[in-house]
Amino acid sequence: MRRLFLFILIFITIKAAWASDADSALVEHTTLGKLPQQESLRNPALHRIGYQQSFSQLALGIDLQRQSTAFIPEKGDGYTLPYLKVNTYHHLNQRSTVWGEASYMTGRQHNIKWNSTSDYDLLQPYILADTLGGDTRRERYTISGGYATRINRCLLGGEMLVRAEQEYRGHDPRMRGIVTDLTLRLGGGYEFNRYRLGAAVEGEIYKQTNSVAFYREEGVIPEYQMTGLGTEYSRFSGDKRSIYYDGGAVALLLHASPVGDCGPYADVTLDEHRYHRKLAEYNSMPLTDLYVDHAGTTIGWKRDNGSRLAAFAHLDYTRRTGNEHVGGTSDARYFPVIACLTMYKNRLFDSYLSALYGNRGWNVVIAAGYQSQNEEYIYPHREMDASHIYGKLQGQCFLHASDKLLLTVDAHAAYLANVSDKMQMPFANMEEGVTRLIHHKHEFAKADYTVLDAKVRADYAWKQTRYGLFAEAGGGITWCSAGEHQTLFQCAIGFTF
Amino acid sequence: MKQISLLIIIMILALAITSCAPVEDDIFATARITVAAGDDLTITRVQAQAKLTNVNTRQVLSSANFEGNGVTIELLRGAYQIDIEGVATCQMPDGGTHMRQFRCQCDYAEFISKEQNDITLNMIFLD
Repeated sequence: MRRLFLFILIFITIKAAWASDADSALVEHTTLGKLPQQESLRNPALHRIGYQQSFSQLALGIDLQRQSTAFIPEKGDGYTLPYLKVNTYHHLNQRSTVWGEASYMTGRQHNIKWNSTSDYDLLQPYILADTLGGDTRRERYTISGGYATRINRCLLGGEMLVRAEQEYRGHDPRMRGIVTDLTLRLGGGYEFNRYRLGAAVEGEIYKQTNSVAFYREEGVIPEYQMTGLGTEYSRFSGDKRSIYYDGGAVALLLHASPVGDCGPYADVTLDEHRYHRKLAEYNSMPLTDLYVDHAGTTIGWKRDNGSRLAAFAHLDYTRRTGNEHVGGTSDARYFPVIACLTMYKNRLFDSYLSALYGNRGWNVVIAAGYQSQNEEYIYPHREMDASHIYGKLQGQCFLHASDKLLLTVDAHAAYLANVSDKMQMPFANMEEGVTRLIHHKHEFAKADYTVLDAKVRADYAWKQTRYGLFAEAGGGITWCSAGEHQTLFQCAIGFTF
Repeated sequence: MKQISLLIIIMILALAITSCAPVEDDIFATARITVAAGDDLTITRVQAQAKLTNVNTRQVLSSANFEGNGVTIELLRGAYQIDIEGVATCQMPDGGTHMRQFRCQCDYAEFISKEQNDITLNMIFLD
């Protein structure tokens, strides 16, 4: 085994040469060097100029994650998610480009607790929850497509993304969440002599029906309508197990970048999301509204003339505000809303400075930043804060092992160090299970994290054709100062065309 | 650079416009609960415990700080169930005073106004 490893190492060392030829389509579409323009590609009009070469890929893969104990109990302690995905980016002619993606994913989330709702990251803290939990099965279908064209100096584009997902459990408590998510984007751009300006608007429609059933009558436990930091909407908790979410988002994306190889650039993103939780069995009574306001901006300078150099600063602010509807007295299963109170506030801030250096064969990205989160329930007052400083190092290189075989190696390391934390809770009035949950969440929110990830991809190309086969494998480990760890494994095979 | 400056100005304007989550930070109200015994009796003093249970959150507030025949409580705006139990000093129509045990109950009362919310409950004498 050791001889084989040694042979492979020597073989690669002898044959390896930095991929110094004109960028292949694969390299162009997977290079880290495109990082400074990732934000701008949300504008469909700018997809036209995003890549010079067409590239398509079909992949069959699996993602596995395991945590020694769940870092966030509502998301479980791991997952096993096989998937099939096809994506394409194709220049139709000198002016027009189309792209699209379709995927199917199915698998399991392991040991979820305190959550019976899908899309936890999107909807938290306004979820349905119970203390028992368990594994869930997931199925997700996505399809998206876009078109972009150029008319003289004008760039125009549109894109549509659809996601349909269901998550369910085959044993009590039998949660089921069915999600439909539709996003539409329309964008435009104009090229002045030296600068390119872009603007896009995005609209999203989101729905989820969510319920929990018990087939064993003797095993029924209460389902809680959670309202943040361990609180619940008591009146409608217990046996009210059928809710739905109704929501959507609007976003504005702005972009400016040099038309040539060198110059300063900027991206601005403004989003506003709103998700309403309603009680299906009581005439769609609104329980809670979650508003997510987000503003992000990246300002930097880049040069891309053979060798790549970029330096950029990023600022990101998210404000999550939760309103609770106060139900009045019932009249034939109809509850009027007599008041609406802002009871939950969550502020997230992230800022970093980053630099990229590389060429067609390799890229290195370093970043250093600060992030903080403040979560507050207004009355009775509960608060949980944590802030971290972090550093990241990311590298990528393309190695031609032979004329037909290209190896892509990606590695990533990061360290997050806690700089401050705070927790204020009325523990004397809290139930034991909720107290344990809050302590657990705080322990992981304030912890330090060390992250190491690596991935290797081998692409075998048939000579004189644009067809190829690929296989990739990657893994990672995250150590948490709370004494726990997470491992990640992913692999995929497929072909490119 | 001119375009970048323009973009930043647009961003600041857009931020101001889009920060539009409806926030209702006035979450507290004042409830003034008065107990009444009817036209024949005048209540001069009340020693009682008022217990208010929020119908939606099940949080319980209590106060024994009666002034005259009423109590004032700061609470979260919402709907409440009220229970009061104690003794009251009553002035009878003939001029005499009596200590009488009483209770008041209300299954549903809305304290929604950001200013003072007044409610009067009839006493049920237990003796």
